[in-house]
Amino acid sequence: MSKTTTPPVIALKNVVKSYGIGDAEHTVLDGVNLKIERGEFIAIMGPSGCGKTTLLNILGLLDHADDGDYLLDNRSVDTLSSGRRARIRSEQIGFVFQSFNLIARLNVIDNVALPLTYKGVSKTKRLLEASKMLSTFHLSEREYYMPWQLSGGQSQRVAIARALVNNPSIILADEPTGNLDSRSSHVIMEELSDIHQRGNTIIMVTHNPNLTSYASRVITMLDGKIATDTKAPRRKKSKIAPKRRLDSQSQTKKRKNVKTTKKKKGAK
Amino acid sequence: MRLRLLILYHLGCAYESLRANRSRTILTVSGIAIGVASIILILALSAGASRIISDQVNNLGGAVAVVRPGMPDHQPQINNLTATLAGSKTASNLTEFDLDDIKEISGISAVAPLMLIGGDVTAGENTPKEVSIIATTPELLDVTDLTVREGQFIDEITSNNTAVIGAQLAVDLFGTEQAAGRTFHTHGKTFTVIGILSRANNPINYNNVDFDHAAIIRLDSGKLFNQNIASIQQINIRATDNQELSDIIKKVNKKLVQNHYGERDFTILVGNDLARPANELFYAIGATLTVVAGVSLIVGGIGIMNIMLVSVAERTREIGIRKALGASNGHIVWQFLLESLVMSLVGGLLGYGLGYLSAFAVARTFLTFNPVFNWEIAGTAFGIALVVGLLFGLYPAIRAARKDPIASLRQYN
Repeated sequence: MSKTTTPPVIALKNVVKSYGIGDAEHTVLDGVNLKIERGEFIAIMGPSGCGKTTLLNILGLLDHADDGDYLLDNRSVDTLSSGRRARIRSEQIGFVFQSFNLIARLNVIDNVALPLTYKGVSKTKRLLEASKMLSTFHLSEREYYMPWQLSGGQSQRVAIARALVNNPSIILADEPTGNLDSRSSHVIMEELSDIHQRGNTIIMVTHNPNLTSYASRVITMLDGKIATDTKAPRRKKSKIAPKRRLDSQSQTKKRKNVKTTKKKKGAK
Repeated sequence: MRLRLLILYHLGCAYESLRANRSRTILTVSGIAIGVASIILILALSAGASRIISDQVNNLGGAVAVVRPGMPDHQPQINNLTATLAGSKTASNLTEFDLDDIKEISGISAVAPLMLIGGDVTAGENTPKEVSIIATTPELLDVTDLTVREGQFIDEITSNNTAVIGAQLAVDLFGTEQAAGRTFHTHGKTFTVIGILSRANNPINYNNVDFDHAAIIRLDSGKLFNQNIASIQQINIRATDNQELSDIIKKVNKKLVQNHYGERDFTILVGNDLARPANELFYAIGATLTVVAGVSLIVGGIGIMNIMLVSVAERTREIGIRKALGASNGHIVWQFLLESLVMSLVGGLLGYGLGYLSAFAVARTFLTFNPVFNWEIAGTAFGIALVVGLLFGLYPAIRAARKDPIASLRQYN
């Protein structure tokens, strides 16, 4: 998956976000510039409070930047109405959360079908598509389980299925493995990596440096700025089944130039 | 199409969430149901009450006109009402001559005067209260819906000292309804009971007389108690044909004006006008009670709002999730608004049923008429429930929609 000449799917220019007012004002994002191409798998790393989640929320149109421009598919989204932003969330963006965020009252298949509701898909079609999506995650026999009857790994796979059911172009994952043991973590990461190889753009926030090996680009943040931005070597695109690939991480081969950009620190 | 799908979906959601919180849903719904029920109860009963008199007129084929003393009224409702009731019991300028002249007009099948006489009736130790003594002619039977249950009605050949009495008066005087042949006293005279009326159970009628508590005597006997002058409070006229009634009224009018030296000091009432004074009273009472019942509905509405606010607070995180998955503010408003609408409409439906059940219970126990079913009342129940659901559901729904998705997602369950 090489770099194309099409404009970046996401472009942030000098994005600033702060919370509080007066003396209590706290700048969370301090002039972030970022371009993300279609098909990238980006891992965002950094200590707590460095603005990773805020960045993800702004990318996902859940939050507004105070200053700067956000171009999504070459369109500015800063001035859009809340209805249009909801529409973009519905059609282009899929969220995966650390705490799964399945709706407890709804069973697995209804949870997965939920995003389709806001797109205006009829009930039968909703359930069919949700069922299809669940079967690709090997959860077909769990369709009518309630969320509390699932293990953590299963819950997160349901959540990923839900994020994907609308066919979004961008997946935003906020510490998707943060609540999982290492074995489930790897299963989830394999799923994400699979999705990535199907051409989706994934932006993932994580604390776990081991997981960056799945990413095609690693960004570290510090104090509201991007500290490093590294294009990681592409892992070998393997044709073997996910289970096998789990054991074949050592086979990743370095490819092309490793580019490390160190952003100049701002004056403040 | 899209909106319909969403509404269907949210209705399903509302059903699920209301079922999940069954007991509090039931409590909230019953609040609305009680409010709607009390309004339906009042509306059904006051509609039933206003129909009493028009039903009586219709039972007689509608061809009944009534002449009363006093000026044609141009007064406001409530004054008019008391004036008419009082007027029927004060000195009258309708005389026997007027009566005889009316009888001669063609097309009239029956005419009967009503002369109300004050005073008590006594049999042995018993002197019942609120008894009406009415002096009239035998034709009264044809211009009212009275029937004789036992014995006979007064007629031209019976002696002056005979009377027909109402069923309840018979019980009050003699302790039994089988009172034919017994005697009672009034104004120093002794009367023999020759007939008992069927129980009409109908204190509200266009004669302003409760015949269950009445003693009916001949007009000649009545005149004896009034220095031989017939002071007639009302003349009932029945036409042979409904179509001719307006013609007859014109003739009666002309004749009476002539008799009264050109002065129009009487009133002729037909159709709905007969029922009007009573209807206006019921309308005023009904309107007042409806306002009072409306208060209980507001309390029910506040109950809905309260529960919806709790529900919004409980589901803050769910709202955040839904927004992240693409729900717009409009979607969230619909979700919560439909939930409150479902509650209020179900409450309205239950209240409608409950209202009618209690209206029937009240009518059968305390009243002499049946409540009325009609589309207006059903529509009112539906409308009230809809308005309450919207009015009290909108604020919680808007509050839910305005929640910040990030703050909502951060909230712990």
